[in-house]
Amino acid sequence: MSNKYVEKGLRAPVNLTWEVSLACNLRCTTCLSSSGEPAHGELSTAEALALVEQVHQARVFQINFGGGEPFMRPDFEEILSACHTRGIMTCISTNGTLIDAERVARLSASKGLVAIQVSLDGARPETCDAIRGKGVFNRAIEAVKLLAATSIPTSINTVLTTQNASEIPAMYELARSLGVSLRVSRFRPSGRGADNWEELRPTPTQLIEFSDWLAQSGDVRTGDSFFSLTSQERQGLGLNLCGAAKLTCCVGPTGNMYPCAFLQTDRFLAGSLRERSFQQIWDDSEIYDSFRSLRIHSCEECTRFDQCHGGCPAVAYHLKNDINGGDPECLERCVTSIADTARSAAAA
Amino acid sequence: MAAAGIALHPACRVRREGFGLLFYDLRGPRLLFAETGDLIPVDFFGTVRGRDELPEGVSDRQKTVLQKFISQLLAKGFLREQ
Repeated sequence: MSNKYVEKGLRAPVNLTWEVSLACNLRCTTCLSSSGEPAHGELSTAEALALVEQVHQARVFQINFGGGEPFMRPDFEEILSACHTRGIMTCISTNGTLIDAERVARLSASKGLVAIQVSLDGARPETCDAIRGKGVFNRAIEAVKLLAATSIPTSINTVLTTQNASEIPAMYELARSLGVSLRVSRFRPSGRGADNWEELRPTPTQLIEFSDWLAQSGDVRTGDSFFSLTSQERQGLGLNLCGAAKLTCCVGPTGNMYPCAFLQTDRFLAGSLRERSFQQIWDDSEIYDSFRSLRIHSCEECTRFDQCHGGCPAVAYHLKNDINGGDPECLERCVTSIADTARSAAAA
Repeated sequence: MAAAGIALHPACRVRREGFGLLFYDLRGPRLLFAETGDLIPVDFFGTVRGRDELPEGVSDRQKTVLQKFISQLLAKGFLREQ
């Protein structure tokens, strides 16, 4: 990763996370945005299509659609089509329950411009459904099977929690057996995930075990989720620093822009698309400037600093209310935590 | 027989940045930061080009650099032969 170019600031994000709606037909316990009912004042179809044109003019390469459940928006395929007409690549994060053969046939017509991630949070129905709701495992698997029969790049996306950590290798085998790839995302304490954080957060031991497994599983994708945990060898596959406001940014359902999907709070509001253009907010936002110049000085003496640069500011903010404090769940701190626990047990 | 043409791979995109060109490959996804300055315009990759075709007005030294650069783009899969 060429950090020197990224830290100077690109003319536009490489990709945009667009949470098109808060509406969702599920109530997953790990949901980063407490989705359920649509947000008041979500972007209209005309506003959404205007944003697609602005993103195109800015030459953003890819839009990652999430929510909420994107397919809950009746006009979502129209928005998608507007992206594809302009050559914008798209990736849809979906719970899979609204995907049927007819929709898959329409998506297949996008000629290589769409990829789909279906959320599945366990290799067994009991594990997944405890997080995502009764019957969701089977419905998601049916969606994956429909997609796997097409040329649409499809992956299973799993949020790592203490409940499913032991099933990750089985998730990998399940994905392989279905002919799709596995992507593992980090559980973060935002949205409904904050409410269930203590119950669902992976333990330091589980995080280290996952890190070791990830080092041996080069074809598992993590995006930028686990750069604070990944081995040096894996760094070549992805980022070694937070991409918020440097490579990526987030548009919320009502047109507010944030550094990333996990920091959709007033404190991190970069601007509203109802008041300023996408390019103006990207270029001039003080919040984005602050992320581009963010340096986690407290981590600079760490031997792993070159590998993670302080980790995820969103986790640091949600757990410590301090984006400058370093990632509380980085690999180094996991090791320290386990050692402290062992020392305490020995002393007791 | 005409020389093979080259073009941006359908899964790839390129845009202008301050340092030169930024390539993106959806298949990784992966990025390539090419410190080309003003040597090669982004429009150059908008159409199918001849294998040895280069922007007009470049010096012999620049030609050598650009030919090597295009070979690297081909090897990395950002460009493909048509």
